[in-house]
Amino acid sequence: MVGLWDYDKARNLVKRYGIRSVESSYVKSGDDAVRFADGEPIVLKVLSEKALHKSRSGLIRLNLYTRDDITAAYSDLEKKAQQLRPYKVIAQKMVRGGTEIIIGGNTDQQFGKMILIGLGGIYVETFKDFALRVCPITDFDAQSMLNQMRSKAVIAPSKEAESMVKSLLVSAAKMFAENEITEFDLNPLILHDGTYDSVDLRVMG
Amino acid sequence: MKNDYKSLSHIMMPKSVAIIGASDKPDKVGHVILQNYIDAGYSGKIYPVNVKNEGTIMGLKAYASVLEIKRPIDLGVIAVPAMAVPQVMEECGRAGAKGLIVVSGGFSEVGNTQLQDQLASIAKKYSMPTIGPNCLGVMDPRSRIDTMFLPTYKIDRPKIGGVSFAAQSGAVGSAVLDMIGSEGFGLARFISYGNAADVDEVDILNYLGNDKDTKVIVYYMEGVKRGREFIDVAKRVTKVKPVVISKGGVTEAGAGAAHSHTASLAGSSQAYEAVFRQFGFTIARDLKDLINYAKIFDTQPLATGKRVAILTNGGGIGVLATDALYNNGLEMAKLTKESEDSLRKMMPDTVNIRMPLDLVGDADDKRYIDALSVVGDDPNVDAIITIVLFQTPGADSRLASSIVSFASKLNKPVIGLSVGGSYTHSHKMMMENEGMPVYESPDDAAGSLAALINYSRYRKGIA
Repeated sequence: MVGLWDYDKARNLVKRYGIRSVESSYVKSGDDAVRFADGEPIVLKVLSEKALHKSRSGLIRLNLYTRDDITAAYSDLEKKAQQLRPYKVIAQKMVRGGTEIIIGGNTDQQFGKMILIGLGGIYVETFKDFALRVCPITDFDAQSMLNQMRSKAVIAPSKEAESMVKSLLVSAAKMFAENEITEFDLNPLILHDGTYDSVDLRVMG
Repeated sequence: MKNDYKSLSHIMMPKSVAIIGASDKPDKVGHVILQNYIDAGYSGKIYPVNVKNEGTIMGLKAYASVLEIKRPIDLGVIAVPAMAVPQVMEECGRAGAKGLIVVSGGFSEVGNTQLQDQLASIAKKYSMPTIGPNCLGVMDPRSRIDTMFLPTYKIDRPKIGGVSFAAQSGAVGSAVLDMIGSEGFGLARFISYGNAADVDEVDILNYLGNDKDTKVIVYYMEGVKRGREFIDVAKRVTKVKPVVISKGGVTEAGAGAAHSHTASLAGSSQAYEAVFRQFGFTIARDLKDLINYAKIFDTQPLATGKRVAILTNGGGIGVLATDALYNNGLEMAKLTKESEDSLRKMMPDTVNIRMPLDLVGDADDKRYIDALSVVGDDPNVDAIITIVLFQTPGADSRLASSIVSFASKLNKPVIGLSVGGSYTHSHKMMMENEGMPVYESPDDAAGSLAALINYSRYRKGIA
């Protein structure tokens, strides 16, 4: 049965390929979330197979800092999620600023597994600035994918950023090629301060 | 190397051809095909076959069935109604035909997939590579094969050359072939393969990739059936020769319900485009570009980089060409100090020594060749666009001819750009016939040069 992987399982998969994702935990109550936050700002998200557009459907609350904010946000999300059963709520440490990109995979009917990189987050479908290749990819392919994008200077403003994104892309393509999964999204993956955090991931298989 | 690909050599270079459905009646497809074989001067054996005719057809001894020929048959060209095709194919198989072209329509294109499956299984049973059905077939000016049912007076037949053209669609195939016929470059092989029941895109790309007479492959397709094999062959072919490709039929992204953002972005047409980019194809956005790119690849060497020098005898077109360079991702070359000094010595005071180099309205062949000799040797120049406005007094046939003969000795791409009417057009044709592509708009010139330069980068492994 093809379906959406559990978040933790997906997170472990990308971790095995050296792709870092932000610290996160399932929470079952507002208090749970407050304990996870431990004084730092967090994000709460509803995860459900029925919801692809979390930000568009109001299923994500960012930058929650105080106990009151966190518990209020939790009960609000819980209310909204009733129609999306089964669902889970996940808490993550807040990543500030940076450039949002998407790295993802899709299985094409004709050519098989393909890897994608694009300007991410809310811009994915607005600008549709992305590059696509058949897996596996080489360093040459990763470079030419970046070169092809209008937003190259935003995604890879320096040589260091460029090689970091390239190696992420090559690792993600390797992960996709080597595992029995049909689609995945690392979206957004936030590039910041010379490093990155993938803050949302979906793996289908 | 594993050999999963069908050989087309008996189809392209047959020593004998049976034309099934040949007829004396001028309105029959089989009549036009036979007529074309005779007109083209095909030197092999021709056997007209028609179930209703056992005497002669167009003066040649005719047979009621291929089984009566009793001599080797390399190629069978089948132009009979769809329902009769399976039986005719069976007979061709038993007669030992080495390849078939099924011109007839009435198969999967009208929903008759069962009949098409039957055709495919007969081709397989006798190991007879079969092109079609629903196609124009092939043309090969070297072996003088022409299976097209289009009368010669209605479509220009190209001269012999190095460009091979494959097209799924017969309509695109014949229209582009007609365009090639009125261009200065020649044809190696033409293959219109229709529904691809047996011989498919992969077989054709493999065949043309290995074909010594083919320098450049031009391909119009609407899709491939064996995606992974297509990639395997493409990887090998694009490392040895350029493949210009145009794909019709844009499929909407995310036809099914997408589970991920990636799937909603990466639809089928995006996947094709990605494959073409990744494996070194040159994508043509328009039929006109199939021709524009074919002629630069056919005649010009690979480029060392993307710095382009522009020579012109008219300032304004030089400016437009400069804009077109940058719009196509290329750069204006910056000449070395030595080159600038040499030019300053050679050129009259009216010539400003900077790019684009305006040789001004009274430039003649000597001034052009002086300039070309300096710019052509400059290590900062990877390619040259030579603009000649033939409206000016100094621009004539002698100038055209001198430029082409000088350019052919340089080991870097040199292309022409001439904007104008009938006098210009005749000079463009003259230059193209001697081996230099000439474009009629700045964007066509720069776009074609960009295609050559991007492919050169791919060949050198530069992303």
